[in-house]
Amino acid sequence: MIGAAIRKDLWLLLRDRGALISLFLLPIIFIVAFGSMFSFGADRDRPRPIAVWHAPDDSRGEAITRALADTPGFTPQPAPSADEVRRRVANEDVGAGLVIPADRAQPVELSIDLGAPAQVRGPLQGALSGVVMRALSPVPLTALPPMIEAQTPPGIAKPLANISAFQVTVPGNAVLFGFFIALTVAMAFVNERKTGTWRRLLAAPVPRWKALLATLVPYYLVGVTQLVFLFGIGIAAFGMQIAGSIPAFVVLSLALVLCAVSLGLLMAAIARTEKQLGGIGSVVLLVMGMLGGCMFPRLLMPPFMKTLGLGVPHGWALDGYYDVLVREGTTLADIAPSVFALLAFAIGFAGLGIALFRFER
Amino acid sequence: MTVALALRGLGKDYGARTAVGTVDLDVVRGECLGLLGPNGAGKTTTISMACGVITPSRGTVAIGGIDLAREPYAAKAKLGLVPQALALYEDLSATQNLRFFGALYGLGGAALATRIDWALGVVGLRDRAVEQVKRYSGGMKRRLNLAAGLLHEPELLVLDEPTVGVDPQSRNHIFETVRALRSDGMTVIYTSHYMEEVQALCDRVAIMDGGAIVATGSVRELIATHAGKGIELGLAGPTEALDAATAAAAAHGSVEREGSVLRVIPTAGLAAMIASIEGAGVTIARIESHEANLETAFLALTGKTLRDDS
Repeated sequence: MIGAAIRKDLWLLLRDRGALISLFLLPIIFIVAFGSMFSFGADRDRPRPIAVWHAPDDSRGEAITRALADTPGFTPQPAPSADEVRRRVANEDVGAGLVIPADRAQPVELSIDLGAPAQVRGPLQGALSGVVMRALSPVPLTALPPMIEAQTPPGIAKPLANISAFQVTVPGNAVLFGFFIALTVAMAFVNERKTGTWRRLLAAPVPRWKALLATLVPYYLVGVTQLVFLFGIGIAAFGMQIAGSIPAFVVLSLALVLCAVSLGLLMAAIARTEKQLGGIGSVVLLVMGMLGGCMFPRLLMPPFMKTLGLGVPHGWALDGYYDVLVREGTTLADIAPSVFALLAFAIGFAGLGIALFRFER
Repeated sequence: MTVALALRGLGKDYGARTAVGTVDLDVVRGECLGLLGPNGAGKTTTISMACGVITPSRGTVAIGGIDLAREPYAAKAKLGLVPQALALYEDLSATQNLRFFGALYGLGGAALATRIDWALGVVGLRDRAVEQVKRYSGGMKRRLNLAAGLLHEPELLVLDEPTVGVDPQSRNHIFETVRALRSDGMTVIYTSHYMEEVQALCDRVAIMDGGAIVATGSVRELIATHAGKGIELGLAGPTEALDAATAAAAAHGSVEREGSVLRVIPTAGLAAMIASIEGAGVTIARIESHEANLETAFLALTGKTLRDDS
């Protein structure tokens, strides 16, 4: 009977253009859009232009320009005047600029938008200050023993080199739209009730738990297919990589779909009409996705929001995906907290859904 | 005499509201029982309890001698439900629909294919088997709805308003199908708002009102026992007076009004009723006796007309 339900629901889904678009096409559009927006990945090695002006033959200015050229990630962009540097910054042609006055008693001017978010401005300001200090140091810094050395602490696997933006936007959108299967599940229940097929199901010699399962299992398989499709496209078209263990990635994905389908059962138990689902259901899923970091990395959120993100399954799923996709050697044990959290959410949603579900509504 | 369906003290409450009080009913194997009642009478609730779709608040259901509460799957396997709503997947073809509904009854493989072919043949849809249901006419959908209930060859077929919104051709087709199934020995419960359908198809009729069965019997028995003598009165007078006359007549029997015509079944003598009507300020222009039928029996039992409530 479950096999017949799977065939039936797959046929229905194949004829439902709206559901196909929201489950398969829309995520691809979002992945491409966000991937292009956050071009920090593959573009990471492209040096950032910094507008520079100094008086001709000014040795201080030349030293700073040289130091800037020697710094990975930056490239000096000479400007004909100090005002031109400021104009380029104001026009956002460059992220920052350096104006080096001929009078050595005057400090070097860092032209930068002080109104920009601290997360964006801070690292740039710090890095350029370091470049200037290195250039002007009376003692060559290369002659001194290193004062600081960056090291990944034990317990954190090494991230992949040269990761692309898609390494982040593919899982972000896969999680966001993966949870939209919940809406499809809930809609399937509403339609069964509306058309009267649910009554026919209840009149058949089928246990009620099996009737419930027969509606959920097909969408679990659709959810798995959706993730295979999205990550498959991510790997084939956008160069996404799986740095960690593939079994860990598979287990995490299966737990994610289970959680999403369970959420669908809960939504079906609460919502009575298509209108309620289409309106409230989609907003709830979008807010959950936003809090979980599907649209904006949780890493860059303020601490309170970061913590709040772990109150939704999306946050745990994305933490797990980040580790298994980006960090080399990540094992199932490494992402166990994410898997267990998703399973706990799934049990909670399903338990509540079963308790609230009215077979005879 | 074997009983195909036995309802004993069956009732359903929704909170403080009682939808069905206490229903006792036997449906004999091979008979066609018509279940008549106005909207809200409790027909669909009773049928839903009998089919295991909703759980009764009290009482028992036995299908073919099997207790529905104790052995739900064995009992349900003997029953086919044709719901009032078109319980079909409109985006699927007739065959795809029937494949799924057949699987619910454990049918599969060649056996299911044979049953699907048979059921589609019975309802005259074999040549449209692979077409999407949404392209069907209302009547064709009703016929497919019937086929889905027949697929597993149930001993008892429950048809809930099977001809609502269908064209005369499809209605006749459904009639002929029910007749053919009956002649093959299938037990049928048929609910309808159409008296003539019940009169034409059913051996016995149960009339429901206010969540209870108020009468059962053959059409002839019900007419003889409850229809009384139907009388038609042609009235003349202003609208207010006609309204007052209708209210006054209702105190002396069952009354149905259509414009200035009253159809009445007096319970305590015609003279008292006529005096009340004239006392309300109208003139009786015409008095005619009309033949008693199931409709007049229904009116006498429930005080309501069936069609007006549909």
